[in-house]
Amino acid sequence: MLGVLVKRVVNRVYQVVLRPTLACPVSTRGYKGEASDDSRGDLIEIPLPPWTEKDGETMDMKRRRLLFQSRKRGMLENCILLSLFAKKYLNTMSETQLRQYDRLINEPSNDWDIYYWATEAQPVPNVYAGEIMDLLKEFTKNKDQEQRLDAPNLEYLDKGSQ
Amino acid sequence: MAAVCIASRVLTKKVLSSKALPAVSQSSRKLHFSIYGKSNAKVSDGISTQYPVVDHEFDAVVVGAGGAGLRAAFGLSEAGFNTACVTKLFPTRSHTVAAQGGINAALGNMENDDWRWHFYDTVKGSDWLGDQDAIHYMTEQAPHAVVELENFGMPFSRTDDGKIYQRAFGGQSLKYGKGGQAHRCCCVADRTGHSLLHTLYGRSLRYDTSYFVEYFALDLLMEDGEMGPSTASGPRTQSSPLLWLTYSGSCTSAHTSTGDGNAMVTRAGLPCQDLEFVQFHPTGIYGAGCLITEGCRGEGGILINSEGERFMERYAPNAKDLASRDVVSRSITIEIREGRGCGPEKDHAYLQLHHLPPQQLATRLPGISETAMIFAGVDVTKEPIPVLPTVHYNMGGIPTNYKGQVITHTPEEGDKVVPGLFACGEAACASVHGANRLGANSLLDLVVFGRACAHTITDICTPGEKLSPLKPNAGEESVANLDRLRFANGSLRTSEIRLNMQKTMQNHAAVFRTGKVLKEGCDKMDAVYQTLDDIKTFDRGIVWNTDLVETLELQNLMLNAVQTINSAEQRQESRGAHSREDFKDREDEYDYTKPLAGQQRKPIEQHWRKHTLSTVDPKTGKVTLKYRPVIDNSLDAEDCAAVPPAIRSY
Repeated sequence: MLGVLVKRVVNRVYQVVLRPTLACPVSTRGYKGEASDDSRGDLIEIPLPPWTEKDGETMDMKRRRLLFQSRKRGMLENCILLSLFAKKYLNTMSETQLRQYDRLINEPSNDWDIYYWATEAQPVPNVYAGEIMDLLKEFTKNKDQEQRLDAPNLEYLDKGSQ
Repeated sequence: MAAVCIASRVLTKKVLSSKALPAVSQSSRKLHFSIYGKSNAKVSDGISTQYPVVDHEFDAVVVGAGGAGLRAAFGLSEAGFNTACVTKLFPTRSHTVAAQGGINAALGNMENDDWRWHFYDTVKGSDWLGDQDAIHYMTEQAPHAVVELENFGMPFSRTDDGKIYQRAFGGQSLKYGKGGQAHRCCCVADRTGHSLLHTLYGRSLRYDTSYFVEYFALDLLMEDGEMGPSTASGPRTQSSPLLWLTYSGSCTSAHTSTGDGNAMVTRAGLPCQDLEFVQFHPTGIYGAGCLITEGCRGEGGILINSEGERFMERYAPNAKDLASRDVVSRSITIEIREGRGCGPEKDHAYLQLHHLPPQQLATRLPGISETAMIFAGVDVTKEPIPVLPTVHYNMGGIPTNYKGQVITHTPEEGDKVVPGLFACGEAACASVHGANRLGANSLLDLVVFGRACAHTITDICTPGEKLSPLKPNAGEESVANLDRLRFANGSLRTSEIRLNMQKTMQNHAAVFRTGKVLKEGCDKMDAVYQTLDDIKTFDRGIVWNTDLVETLELQNLMLNAVQTINSAEQRQESRGAHSREDFKDREDEYDYTKPLAGQQRKPIEQHWRKHTLSTVDPKTGKVTLKYRPVIDNSLDAEDCAAVPPAIRSY
């Protein structure tokens, strides 16, 4: 147990150090103007407590929690994308996939990062790469050109109405 | 493992307490949340046995962990108060993270600058509905606030010689409007909002702030009315603003912005101020509503109509596409109404970027390309983006003075402080934005007034003061409401009622408003409000019940919506973001289009340069409106002369 904990702490520190080099090439964010590249000083010097997985949750509970967390995000783009994604995939995810998704939407501190990875505007850090990230990227491309005007209503979950 | 639904009463000093229900349940092993909090909670059996109530004691409680809430929580913790912060979302995921523009401050790094010019710009931007003492406070404190943030660790972007880089933003000028465009917006690359949240959250943890994350605040519990003899104590700040989730025009904010703060205050019997002033951001993506930042136009993007004309040259000859947001929104709407809209239904405008060099697009505006492709299917290097004015911000909210204290108002006694209650952020109305907000002033508003709340509380109270006892059944109504909603089995689903509300607001209270349409809207909204009694939820669970949370949010949205539309219907003038086709002019105490000499000053009942104070009876949905005069003097007339009203043109 301690070995796992130590490894996680080491990974976290490693990632914090690694981040500046990941982002160094041209900052591909919304609006840059003449501003210099992001030094990420705050992220390096003010580390937040590391995210940890929740213990002892049933799969059903995980799905319910992840639904809430998919629908309530920091900005509209993620609200729409993730709630549509959750509608399509959440109820059929396996346990591994649920855990991947949990980490993807809960660990990154900046919601924009998730958006940039999903839109392939920025490379996905290794820790988040995997099945779920691939599904999300594919979903974001919107190959079927469906209209993505709003987050879906919750009634698709109402067993009684089906 | 049985999951138990727990209600928490978070007690603060004296008059005011707030109560929160965890969206997640705790197992019966841990009766109160916390990784970072204190273990001082006790279970009480006052209210009900089905929902065990846990009482927590703190010196100060902050509701909402956006920029303003975090700044207040941090300030209070630093000053030694045992502080709790209750938040619906993880702090760095608050809607503040969406802010990519920056914070305005007259640091004078790009050119000679003076905070009094910023003061002038803000007063003018507010269309003289802003309280000049609060605006004075905000613009004077701005440079200090930015430097302070920098000292906390926010890595502002820098110029080559090491000073904080500042960029242009709409509505900011030099020399009281006569010196051209000012560059006073400080930023952290394009991550200003996130950096602000990260820095403040991280710092506040070092001072031992307790966070109740993913807890939904239900209600404020007022003891003995709000006029207690005790001095102000437990603060309450709320950073979730109102924006109704409109339908076709959508809104630009996250679906978490549901007006919880305003609604809590309304249910406590206190008024909200100026809710009819809704800012429409001129460029939201047609349909989805995702915002295309003003920075695009700052980089050279232009708005065109169906004839390919750069129409802003007609409406704002000097500022053109960088005119103030309400001016641009109105211009786009006029173009559409006069038949020059784009698209098959001629119902939007185009934002053209493909005339800019591709290199500039790639380095300066790359995120825009993604958003345009994903939600609108447009390649910005080839085609223009379809845009429409979209609900973006509400200038109104909980009325406060410039120190952050919540106030009520009577004509006899004037403004009166509500002891123990403070508000800051988008939820509050200080009022610095008046009838229209300038871009990059909102992040400033958050930081300055979050800080002001913390300072005021530090001045008035001491940490560790004893709390007066709370009635054992305080909060009963909130729990009863929760229980009722959880088992609601009427005939209309939450999403149906919400859609009805959205459609009504979009059709009756959008950019352009007319008396007849507004009146119809008020009646329709009243009918929609009544349907809340017939609501139907489907999720009976007590753990992670998203349906229940969204239903509670709908109740909050509804309270905001009725106030907005009723206030808009009553206000018979056009000012700032509130535009009436049947009353196109501003109605001030004097007619400022003509010389003042010889004019008689109109009494407050006969003009509209005043704040609206609205209250709602939650049981019936009936809205009552009163008015409050605007504060026209600055904090120090010698240091900073107040700006007398004038005609507002750019």
